[in-house]
Order: sequence, then C-alpha cells, then structure tokens
Amino acid sequence: MRNSTKSKLEMVLFTLPAIILVTMMIYIPFVSSGYYSLTEWNGISSSATFVGLENFKTILLKSSQFTDVLAFTGKYTVLFMLFSNVLALGLAVLLVQKLKTANFLRGVFFVPYIMSMTIVGFIWKFIFSSGFARLYQLTNWGFFNWSWLGNADLAFYSVVIVGVWQQLGFYMVLYIAGLQAIPGDVLEAATVDGAHSVRRFFSVTLPLLAPSITICLFMSLTNALKMFDIVLALTQGGPGGSTYTATLDIYREAFQHNNFGLGSAKAVVFFFIVLVLTQLVLWISRRQEVDL
Amino acid sequence: MMTRKQKTRLKWILAEFFAIALAAFYIYPIFLMVNNSLKPFREVIMDVIALPSRLAVENYVNVVERMNYGALFMNNVIITVVGLLGIIVFSSIAAYTINRTRNRYTRIAHFLIITPMLIPFQTFMITLLKTMNVFGLAGSLVGLGIQYWGFGVPMATFIYANFIQTVPREIDESAFIDGASTLQTFAHVIFPILKPITTTVIVLNVMWIWNDFLLPLLMVNSTERTRTLVLSAYTFVGQFNTQWHYAMTAMVLAVAPSVIFFVLLQKHIVKGVIAGAVKG
Repeated sequence: MRNSTKSKLEMVLFTLPAIILVTMMIYIPFVSSGYYSLTEWNGISSSATFVGLENFKTILLKSSQFTDVLAFTGKYTVLFMLFSNVLALGLAVLLVQKLKTANFLRGVFFVPYIMSMTIVGFIWKFIFSSGFARLYQLTNWGFFNWSWLGNADLAFYSVVIVGVWQQLGFYMVLYIAGLQAIPGDVLEAATVDGAHSVRRFFSVTLPLLAPSITICLFMSLTNALKMFDIVLALTQGGPGGSTYTATLDIYREAFQHNNFGLGSAKAVVFFFIVLVLTQLVLWISRRQEVDL
Repeated sequence: MMTRKQKTRLKWILAEFFAIALAAFYIYPIFLMVNNSLKPFREVIMDVIALPSRLAVENYVNVVERMNYGALFMNNVIITVVGLLGIIVFSSIAAYTINRTRNRYTRIAHFLIITPMLIPFQTFMITLLKTMNVFGLAGSLVGLGIQYWGFGVPMATFIYANFIQTVPREIDESAFIDGASTLQTFAHVIFPILKPITTTVIVLNVMWIWNDFLLPLLMVNSTERTRTLVLSAYTFVGQFNTQWHYAMTAMVLAVAPSVIFFVLLQKHIVKGVIAGAVKG
C-alpha cells in the first residue's frame, strides 16, 4: 500500500495551485465587489465610505438609467436567442444534406465566430455607413438609406444583426453535431420527401434534438447577457446611450465615471440576474427533456 | 419530360446553388473588408464595392510598420503561451487528483475550482484591477498570461475531470507497481492519454485568449509596449476612422492569425468547440 501521509500531501499539493489561482483571480475580486457595492469609492483613494444599501437604491429606485440598460440587455437577449437558434437550426438542416460543398460551407459560416468581436463590430460599422451608402446609390432601395446606427430603434436591430452574424456559425456547428447523432434513416425520412417533411421535422427531428437545443439556448443566453465588445466598436453605446448593454454600462460607471461603488452595485445586481436566468433556462430545458 | 432521377438531380443542384449563394452573401462583409484594404484611399472613397484597380500592397507595408505588427504579434504569443501552459498543467493535475482520490477534501477542492464557471467575469472586473495591482500582475504581459490561469482553470479542470473518468484506474496501478511516483505516473502515463482532450483545451483557450478584449483593455492598455493585437487594432481604427483603407488593413491584420489558425486546424477547432460546449 502507498504511504498515506505522502499521498495526502500529494493530494493537497496537486490541487492547491488551482485553488490558489481561482481564489486570487476570481473569489477575492468577487467578494470585494460585494463589499464595495456597499460603499462610495472613486477607485483611487485607499478608503471607501460605507453607505449601506444606498447604491442599490440609487440604481434601482432613484433613476431609471440602469433599469433602462437592463431592459435593453433583456430585449437584446430575447431577440438574439430567437434569431441565432432558429437561423442556426435552419442552416444546420441545410448543411447536413449530402451537398458536395457542405463541409466547405460549414467552415465559411463558422469564420465570423473565430474573429475578434471588436473587429467584427468595426467591419459592420463600415458596412452600415459606407457600404450601405454605396448600395443605396446602386439600387435605390430605401432601407439602405436608413440611419442604421444613428436612430435608436434601428441601432438596436443593427446590434442584434451583428451579434447574430458573429455567432451563428457556433450554434450551427452544435446543431449539426446534434443532427448527426440522430440515426440516419430517421433524419432521411424526415427531410427528403415533400409534403410530410415539415411535419416530420417538428414531430421527429426536433424532439430528438432536445439536448442540442438545451445547450444552444444556454450558451446563447449567457453570451447575449455578456455582450460587450461588438457594441463598444459598433455604436459605443449610442445614439444617445440607447444601446448600452449591462456590461458596457458597468464598465463605463467604474472606469469612465470613476463611480466604483455604484459600478460594483450594478455588477452585483447583474450577477444575480445572470444566475437566476441561467438556472431558470437549465431547469426548464431539463424538465422538457424528461417529458419527452 | 424529366425522369424521376433527373428531377432529384436538379433538386440537389438547386440546393447546392442555394447553399453557396447563402454562404457568399453571409461572408460578403469580410470580403468587403479585405477588398477595401487592398485599395488606394481614393478608390475606397469613390466606391467601396468595386474591386481594386491595382493591389495597394503599400497599405499593408505602411500599417505593419505603424502598428509595429511584429512586436504586437509577439505580445499575443507571450500572453497566449504563458496562459496555456499554466491552464494545462494546473488543471490536468488537479482534475487527475480529484478523480483518483475521492474524499471530503477533494470534493471541496472540486467545488471550489469549478464553481467560478457560474460567475461572469464582468461582475468582478472592477475590483479585479485593484486585486491584480496588489499581486503585481497588472500592467505586464506575463502577468496577464498568469491571470488567464485563474480564469481558464475552472472550465479546463471540468473538461479534464470528465475525460479522466473514462481512463481506467488499472493503468495507474500498473505504473505504481513498477515503482513510479504519483507525479511520474501522471506525467509519463496519464498525461499522454489525455492528448485528445488537451487538444480541445488548447483550441478553446487559444481562441479565447488570442481574441480577448476586455481583460487586456483593463490590464495592459496603458502603454503601447504591452498592447495586444486586438487592443492595438482598436486604437488604430479609432485614430484612422476617416482613412478607411488603413483601418481596413489593420483589421485584416488583426484577424488574419485567427483565420489562418482556423483554416489549418478546422477539424480540431470545430471538434474542440463542440466538446467544450457540450461538456461546459
């Protein structure tokens, strides 16, 4: 038998680095975030003034600024989840067919996902301004002439379009993996022949795809809630602050307005919202899966 | 009259054509970026859609020099390599220990290590900067690489632990009988078996660390010397937002490494991304 003191020592020695690392980078800042949310602190001075729940009152009750930001993030999340999942599923169904170019095309749709989101934001800023202007000259189609980044309502949809465009390939790949796990004859029957294919898709393929749907819903939820880079590059939160996401707002409150206490309070509220929503989606999806 | 066979063939050709057209439409924004990066300024202003009359390679020469591209590339390599090494070493051995020794201590260790997967980075980024200043990890490339250890370890440990479950204990036992220590067994026997999952961990972390924006923005943006490729492109595009030909070139240069990485390792990357999502 192995020396038990030695193996105990090894057990601690081999897990301790990982524990120390997550404590340093995650637990300490996370806990102090909780503490600073109860203070007024400019981030520079060494002492922060304790103000109790004042910050939470300010962001949740006294001003609608943060609740507006949360509403925007929520609206974005709903549309992002809807479009990215529906379109990705459609693409996946198309690209599991025996097309000669299927493999190559899957790669093409995946490319935006491996690119930096900041650069993706810039590419689309160029498209929405210079690209659309030229397309309008060529086609005279009215929607090319709309102010896609200058009008608050349109800017919202621009952010959704770019967000979905960047991540579509990721969900497509996950759905393709799910579809390929379905026995071939079932899928063939469900897609090949004409009139019945739609109904068979909804009553055969889709239920069998439930695990993939759960994963994609969960991933699209967390990715949408954390949206930051694309908005920063595409709209900088504008026009008139209409496209501020929760994370961009937390960043601005702390690092641009130097309200670290207020920013930490927003971060704490954001954390609980993310926690509740992700657990809710997991719980609902798992129940669905069991029912089937 | 078409035969049934001809009809199905036509259907497939149409489907093929539709899929290709869709993909071309989808990728058009990226094409437009590359297209305009290769034009002289005058042509970008006149018509962003037309193809360049000649390839303006001077844009690239100019931007590579102005951005100091070689140095930026090395900065990214340093951060990514340092990050990867720590994540792989500390996660794999922690996952191995947690899986092979089942007691109260390892259960708590497991819980502590993987729970941070539920905490979004943005909820503690404000105090992170202060904490990293205290530990002396802010403001340097290696320091940033080390920070990624903490952020990468939870997910990597989780993925490794799932995989190690499938590695039979008999393999360890026979190494112990041959007189190997735990560390030797892990390094020479277990770790090589983990190769496929290590590939997954590498793919996921390279994609994340190489393109990460927010953490480098907080930690290494104050001096030009320590900026990453994406940070520098962000600043560059901000400065040259009227000179789109240079901005486009900088953007192409910023995404080129990831795109090349993807083209070369497409199979591994797609497999890794699926494994990461399914297990995470």
